[in-house]
Amino acid sequence: MKTTTRWSPAALRGANNEGILGLIVLFLIIGMTAVNPDFFSFGTFFSIIRASVVPMIFALGVLIVIVSGGIDVSFPAIAIFSAYTTVVLMQTSGMDFGVLGVLGVALVLGALLGLINGGLIARFKLPTLIVTLGTQGIFKGVLLAYVGSRYIAELPASMANFSTMDLVSIGDGSTVASLHVLIVPVVILCLLVHIMLRRTMFGRGIYAIGGDTEAARRAGFSVVRIQLALYALVGALAAFGGVLHVTLTRSANPQDLLGTELDIIAAVVLGGASIFGGRGSVLGTVLGVLLIQLINNSLILMGIPSAWQRTAVGLLLVIGVGIQALGARRASKKVIVPRETVVPS
Amino acid sequence: MSNTDSTAPDRSVPVLEARNIVKTYGGVTALKGVSLTLTSGHVHCLAGENGCGKSTLIKIISGAERPDSGEILIDGVSHPFMTPKKAIQLGIQVIYQDFSLFPNLTVAENIVLTSAVAQKRKTFSLAQSRPRAHAIVQELGLTLNLDAYVETLSVADRQLTAICRALINDARVIIMDEPTTALTHTEVDRLFALVRKLQARGVALMFVSHKLEEALSISQDITILRSGDRVSSGSATDFDRRSISRHMTGRDIDESRVINPPQYDERPVLEVHALTRMGEFENITFDLHRGEILGITGLLGSGRSEIAESLFGVLPAESGDTTVNGSKVHIRSIRDAIDAGIGYVPEDRLTQGLFLDKSIADNMIASSLDKYRMKNHLLDNKRIARTISVFFDKLHIKAPNVSAPVRSLSGGNAQRVVLAKWLANQPQILILNGPTVGVDVGSKEEILTLLRAEAAHGMGLIVISDDVPELVSVCNRIIVIQQGRLTSSFTGDEIQVDAIQERMSA
Amino acid sequence: MSEQKSNETRQIALQTARSTNQRIDNVVSSSLARFHVSHGVGRMILLTLLAFVIFTIAAPQVFLNPLNLQNIAITSPEIGLLALAVMVALLTGGIDLSVVAIANLTTITISTLYSTIAATDEGLADSLGPVIVLVGFVVGLFGGFINGLLVSKVGITPILATLGTMQIFNGIAIVWTGGETLYGAPAMLNTVGTGAIAGIPLLFVVFIAVAVIIAVIINKTALGSTILLQGANPVAAKFSGIRTTRTLMSTYLISGALAALAGILIISRNPTASADYGSSYVLLVIVIAILGGTNPTGGFGTVLGVVLATLTLQIVSSGFNIVRLSSYEYAIAQGVILIGVMVIDQVTRNRQRSAVLKQRKLKVQLQAKDSNQ
Repeated sequence: MKTTTRWSPAALRGANNEGILGLIVLFLIIGMTAVNPDFFSFGTFFSIIRASVVPMIFALGVLIVIVSGGIDVSFPAIAIFSAYTTVVLMQTSGMDFGVLGVLGVALVLGALLGLINGGLIARFKLPTLIVTLGTQGIFKGVLLAYVGSRYIAELPASMANFSTMDLVSIGDGSTVASLHVLIVPVVILCLLVHIMLRRTMFGRGIYAIGGDTEAARRAGFSVVRIQLALYALVGALAAFGGVLHVTLTRSANPQDLLGTELDIIAAVVLGGASIFGGRGSVLGTVLGVLLIQLINNSLILMGIPSAWQRTAVGLLLVIGVGIQALGARRASKKVIVPRETVVPS
Repeated sequence: MSNTDSTAPDRSVPVLEARNIVKTYGGVTALKGVSLTLTSGHVHCLAGENGCGKSTLIKIISGAERPDSGEILIDGVSHPFMTPKKAIQLGIQVIYQDFSLFPNLTVAENIVLTSAVAQKRKTFSLAQSRPRAHAIVQELGLTLNLDAYVETLSVADRQLTAICRALINDARVIIMDEPTTALTHTEVDRLFALVRKLQARGVALMFVSHKLEEALSISQDITILRSGDRVSSGSATDFDRRSISRHMTGRDIDESRVINPPQYDERPVLEVHALTRMGEFENITFDLHRGEILGITGLLGSGRSEIAESLFGVLPAESGDTTVNGSKVHIRSIRDAIDAGIGYVPEDRLTQGLFLDKSIADNMIASSLDKYRMKNHLLDNKRIARTISVFFDKLHIKAPNVSAPVRSLSGGNAQRVVLAKWLANQPQILILNGPTVGVDVGSKEEILTLLRAEAAHGMGLIVISDDVPELVSVCNRIIVIQQGRLTSSFTGDEIQVDAIQERMSA
Repeated sequence: MSEQKSNETRQIALQTARSTNQRIDNVVSSSLARFHVSHGVGRMILLTLLAFVIFTIAAPQVFLNPLNLQNIAITSPEIGLLALAVMVALLTGGIDLSVVAIANLTTITISTLYSTIAATDEGLADSLGPVIVLVGFVVGLFGGFINGLLVSKVGITPILATLGTMQIFNGIAIVWTGGETLYGAPAMLNTVGTGAIAGIPLLFVVFIAVAVIIAVIINKTALGSTILLQGANPVAAKFSGIRTTRTLMSTYLISGALAALAGILIISRNPTASADYGSSYVLLVIVIAILGGTNPTGGFGTVLGVVLATLTLQIVSSGFNIVRLSSYEYAIAQGVILIGVMVIDQVTRNRQRSAVLKQRKLKVQLQAKDSNQ
């Protein structure tokens, strides 16, 4: 049931409906500004961006897995595991690793956990959803049972300082709109993942596996190696997201993030990635995450209880995917035989 | 790796030589010491029935499997540790039956990607790769949209994409696995023109096909496998259709014509009038009597399959009338067709006909479940068990028991399961599309005998096939479809293989 | 030619060896086939017994205490029904992520209706108990209907359709309750929640009864067969005349009904309702369904397997409690069991596959030999 309909002008629409998604985001901004002029302000934008930082990192990881034809529900567990464990390590050792040190330790932890996923998936060819369902329980359990279940309110100095660092602050004394410095690594990561997916053989291999695993094998790709590497990478990305989360919330809570996996997957799918693999782009994913944050923000501004957020996201997902599915259905009824009709010679 | 010489083919050293290849799977020998030589500028036909070891041999040459003993020599050098990547680097390219393309990538990407893997590239730039893809498409004189996604292409264009991909790697050996099964007549001609071009460039080709005439017309050398043994090989001029099939099967095939007279009731069991589905078939009119076997033939893409799918409600007709037993029926869905008493044995048995992991019993009962519903809505399992055992015995299905999964059956036995599924539903009309495709010769005869028996019991049968000798041996009447139109009809003594084949491609 | 002759004798010898081989193979494969049918169930019986024995040995007094066993019997039903709901969807090759959200909608409906009526007349509210419960059930069924509509009519992939409806139903529940926990349920539910027949909690009796009904639907009715066939190969199902839309719609209606029943059991056990009850259940019930032998790609699965998987996990949970292992360690155990079972499955399936392949190759060769004569 791959959605393959492409209306013209195809270029504008984008391979994964990025164009349409971009338009929706634009209309939403215009609409919200019309309803409430206050919406169109640096404050709103900066807060949307701040709220998008962590989901964006997770979404990049989810995108990579989905493009490869898998589903990962273990990334929140990996994220909080890596971040919390790193904080605990610093506390117990009494050392402050510094920002880079923290990231280094967390990323290694995340990559190792990701490698466990990748190993099970590549070696035993198990369904990715089932494997990550199992490992998320294990990761979560090990973290809470053996690393710690305590809420840590005081972060090591290096992280604490970082958490209040702003890139730009705009405004007068009373209302200051600040853009958090963490937007920088997020933008860089988005670009890097984009380049990785588009411009490296590793990235093309991920698309190849997602398109047709057997064909990828026959074409000479090492499917096992690509899967191992991509799950390790996704683990590291999750760990990065975990560290950002801890930094932004200025506390380390081992129960945090768990249960957010489906929201992120929804954002990535809204961003045009195909749940069957082989399709998806960083641009679409960025737009998908922004759209969800924008809607959350708009609902609040319109005075709609924030409780409606979940419903709104769910509706958006069902409508978005539903339109694609109906389109695909219609197309499959129209074009029955993908074969050239015989031309009278 | 010297693939620079594009000069005159050197016949002294073969490009690729397989020596005494032995391969066993779990104690069963798939290849028993097969040898084969491919020379530059020659087309080598590899023929054999399903399961004779053809695909195993291809897998070993392409590095996907490793032989137990024997060796593969490229330019006289042995390569004991072949991998897919290494085979590609050595200039061996396989065009698989399913093409093995990436549907989610563009034509250009598909063409250049494997060569990028073989070159151990780390980065990929479409901007740099596209000209290479463009060049190969130009060189072969093809019209392919390089930026189209492969999933949007026609089967023929996918095939051409696969060929371009094979050639961009400076392929010196190209193996084509059943390349013509999905192609129309004109497309096959185009493919053969391409093959001759490749020959002229000094490429060694291996052509794997079960279509004997076709294979004979393009090949210079031929090797025939049977049950993992090389039973014969030599120059293609020394073989004809009959001798090849004798080597393939180990006996002469009996294709003599045996038919029973139909029952000419007041009205035919099926009347089709002016059936039309624009772009596929137009104004098709024919009827079918009880006890009659009607053959529908035509080239691939002529519309013969679409007519069957339309009668069965897969692709409902846009206009025209269908009458079953004198009463008009409106077939808008498969369910409508079944309710009207029509059954359909599809051509693509594995995906459309069978539940491979389910048991023989579950498969047999799949179409007739509603018939076994008791008053309390439960299924009458006793009656079901009886039906299943009746058909299991009647159709001589070779399996340990009815709970064996269909996946474990051979092609012929699997086809009998599909037949049993429809016979259990007691249709008045049974449409069979390519009923013996991929079926071994022994089963083929038995299946045809079964069809005759059902006709003798009063069922009306329609057999759709491009295997004219088969149709001749079993049909009372044969109609020919050309470019979506019914162009001729053969009855009685007119039914001759040559005459029909002539009409088909006229 | 003498060479040919010796060749022939050798082939005859080979052939006799082969036919003996085949006979042995037939026996093996038919026993394998039988093994396959009860594969999930046999394994689950073993696992259930294993869990039971381990904790009996670890802490006999506490574990075998009737109170503890009753506790297992009281906590299992709601999870078991949710797992069955997921299983039914899995059988068609789909999945239902919205079951917990549907169950919560049912509990919230029941609690709200009851409290509203009880605010004016408590007696009336209790006497209207059956109606209130029925309305709650219908709300759950309606949730299933929406899923069925999206999957069968619109054609959305089940995992995305139910991911969406999960968010929608859950969102509605949050808005409805304002994120608070609601109190109050008809008295009749309390009777169900606390009652027992011969020492067996009524909740457990209901669970088993529903499980039996589902088992009958799946194994003994045309609908059940079509559900399994649809999951085994949707294209072949279509070409066999199976009404796909109707089958899928029925599947998600059954799934919704089971989720609603789970909701009724939840509020029977504890007369409260909240939007975020059992948020960790979504993944747990999938784990149970798969552990119980349901094929995640559809076509295969047994109710008994899922029931046993439910009991196993509840036994492990209660046992872990008794030997003072935390719920976190229970989470680890869940994951390890799931992955362990899948890995073992995969390894044995590969072995089976090669056995089947072997038999098939042999048959092809024998046929070729037959036709030689």
